[in-house]
Amino acid sequence: MADKPKRLQRNRWSIHLFPIPALAIYLLFIIYPICAAFSYSLYDWKGIKKLEFIGFQNFKNLFTLEPFNTMFWNALEHNVIYFVVQMVVQNGIAFLLAYLVFQKIKGSGFLKVAYFLPRLLSVIVVGFLWKLILNPTYGTINVLLDKLGLDSWTMPWLGDPSTALISIILVNSWFGVGLSLLIFLAGLQSIPTEVVEASRLDGVRGFRMIRTIILPLMIQPIIMVTVLTFIQSFEAFELIYAMQGSMGEPYYSTDTMAVFFYRTAFGGSSSDSVAIGLGSALAVVMFAIIAIISAAFLALTRKVNQE
Amino acid sequence: MKRVYSLGTVVLLSTSLVVSGCGSNNKANESSPSNSATPSASSSASNGSGEKVKLTMGSWRTDDKAVYEKVFAEFNKQYPNIEIDFSPTKSTEYNTVLNTALQTGEGPDIIHLRPYAAGIGLGDSGFIEPINGLPGLEVFPADVMAASTGKDGNVYGVPMALNTVGIMYNKKIFKDNNLEVPKTWDELLKVSQSLKDNKIIPFGFGAKDGWILSMTQGAIGPAGYGGNEFVDKLLKGEKKFTDEEYVQSLQLMKDLVPYFPDKFTGIGYEDMRTFFATEQAAMYVLGDFDVGVIQTMNPALELGVFPIPSKVAGASPTVSTYVDGSYAVNAASKHKEEAKKFLEFATSKEFGNLFANEMKRVSPIPGVTATDPVIAQFAELANTASTPYLMVTNFNSGNPTTKVTLENSMQALYLNNMDAKKVAEELQKNVDTWFKP
Repeated sequence: MADKPKRLQRNRWSIHLFPIPALAIYLLFIIYPICAAFSYSLYDWKGIKKLEFIGFQNFKNLFTLEPFNTMFWNALEHNVIYFVVQMVVQNGIAFLLAYLVFQKIKGSGFLKVAYFLPRLLSVIVVGFLWKLILNPTYGTINVLLDKLGLDSWTMPWLGDPSTALISIILVNSWFGVGLSLLIFLAGLQSIPTEVVEASRLDGVRGFRMIRTIILPLMIQPIIMVTVLTFIQSFEAFELIYAMQGSMGEPYYSTDTMAVFFYRTAFGGSSSDSVAIGLGSALAVVMFAIIAIISAAFLALTRKVNQE
Repeated sequence: MKRVYSLGTVVLLSTSLVVSGCGSNNKANESSPSNSATPSASSSASNGSGEKVKLTMGSWRTDDKAVYEKVFAEFNKQYPNIEIDFSPTKSTEYNTVLNTALQTGEGPDIIHLRPYAAGIGLGDSGFIEPINGLPGLEVFPADVMAASTGKDGNVYGVPMALNTVGIMYNKKIFKDNNLEVPKTWDELLKVSQSLKDNKIIPFGFGAKDGWILSMTQGAIGPAGYGGNEFVDKLLKGEKKFTDEEYVQSLQLMKDLVPYFPDKFTGIGYEDMRTFFATEQAAMYVLGDFDVGVIQTMNPALELGVFPIPSKVAGASPTVSTYVDGSYAVNAASKHKEEAKKFLEFATSKEFGNLFANEMKRVSPIPGVTATDPVIAQFAELANTASTPYLMVTNFNSGNPTTKVTLENSMQALYLNNMDAKKVAEELQKNVDTWFKP
């Protein structure tokens, strides 16, 4: 009798051995690179050659040295815009569509698949496709505007700094709306039907139903989508690279932190302007921003859960 | 414990970027011995005179495999014991792959070395074997050799291609509209205006890709500052980018705006070339290296080329040239002597002829004749009317480089965010951070 709790205790501890294989992979491919990036950021580099230890000089340069400081704030601002527009457009539309599909209107199963379809394409394909659609001379959008007699509205969408960033964000929203929709839909489906029916009996309808009953019960998927959108916005790279290259063209108007990082750390194809130290410092700063804000979001979720 | 795991989740979620960035940075360092390095040492280690030796050649010219096979076949007629294997890497990845390989003491025996600062930097860091006094080098003029000569005078490579940028034009469109090749800048504007009046796009041009901007300015610019005299003074520090000659060279680029396609700020390289190749545009400012593609796209196009007429009174028309790269020997190679034999071969006229005709590009070797008339015309202009493409030959350093600064400021110029004077100021500000005359 006496040794049974002991065995249980031993078993309880052995459970913690199971994460080890996964943990090892994470340590090797995530924790180690982060530490390495941090150590790189403390050194002076000449091209790909590591020179002496210079402490936090790279970080200081990032925030004080022209043109890097201007580029940094400019890029950060674009990341914030990216996040805000994605939240409003992509997730706003995703929520409305999810609600629509949830109503079990005719063909809702088909719609669910249709909205998710763009997500199945590779980002490079999406970028290429939209580059064609947004082409100033033969792109569908300008041709369509022209045919409708709205030729004064035609624009070099990706070549004008006032429209380039927003065009890319909207393409990203088109691409990402399906995933947010699925998360919202799952949230909607987990709302107990009794609650909805009871309030319907009480005369709650339409928008009031969404605002007073649905939204409060959806707080968890909403936070989850927010966190995912936040991380994705602050790492925005592939689509911009596919559509505009690594210079954040035109005139840094589509630059984001990740594009700035890529350009700084690895340089262009035929220039010698690689600054691995500075790039690593930038990577560390990005990591800090994303980690701190994501942790805050998750703490919020936990608080909501406990209530 | 639960708390620890969820903290871990935060870290994991928020690191996917850092992973993609620094992960590749690290991974490249770790894995290069097994992965990115080409097996330079895999063949017999030591070799007597008659023994077969296998060399590898690294390159960013992935399209040139077939041509190099012909080149190697010709080379083997003289040196049957030296076998060369051409193993190119995608252009945008090449620098990274090569750099990591060199750092670990590996890499191909023969290297396609990037021209000017980037390649010379590798040489000055000791990764490239100096080839001072290699037989055959004496045929190249000094400005061509500058592309692979280090600060201390060491020569690191045999120049392989002399890129030449001029104005290509559609002969048929010119003939149909009774237009002559312009001899002065004002004539060029007149030609452009009458093309425009006849509903033909004068210049196939777009400002979306930065490198197109610096390359076009590199060709058009000398028309504003008058060519080599200004360049000499600029390099000696007697002139600055903010001087009126250079500001004028930027202004000329702005003056051409009415002759660019509609919405040109959103047009990229492929699109502008399509305008020219499909005969919608009459002129196209680019280098000889694009001739092959244009001819493939539209074999019926009657292609001609002329140098850029100058705005400066009395200055002669120019084309801008720069060395595209050079053949170099890896300092860590086990077969340096054999590799040098190939470099020697690369200075010969027979190699130059092969290169010019198979690749349809301008060879820097004097006396080489190209069979393609357009390439031959480019080559002649390169010999008689050349001025350096400054942003590549001398101002591709700094962080960001002066070239990149020009590209971005010119985008601002075309978007009306800056005027020519402001662009010049931005350039000078950048140059002041690193350039010593």
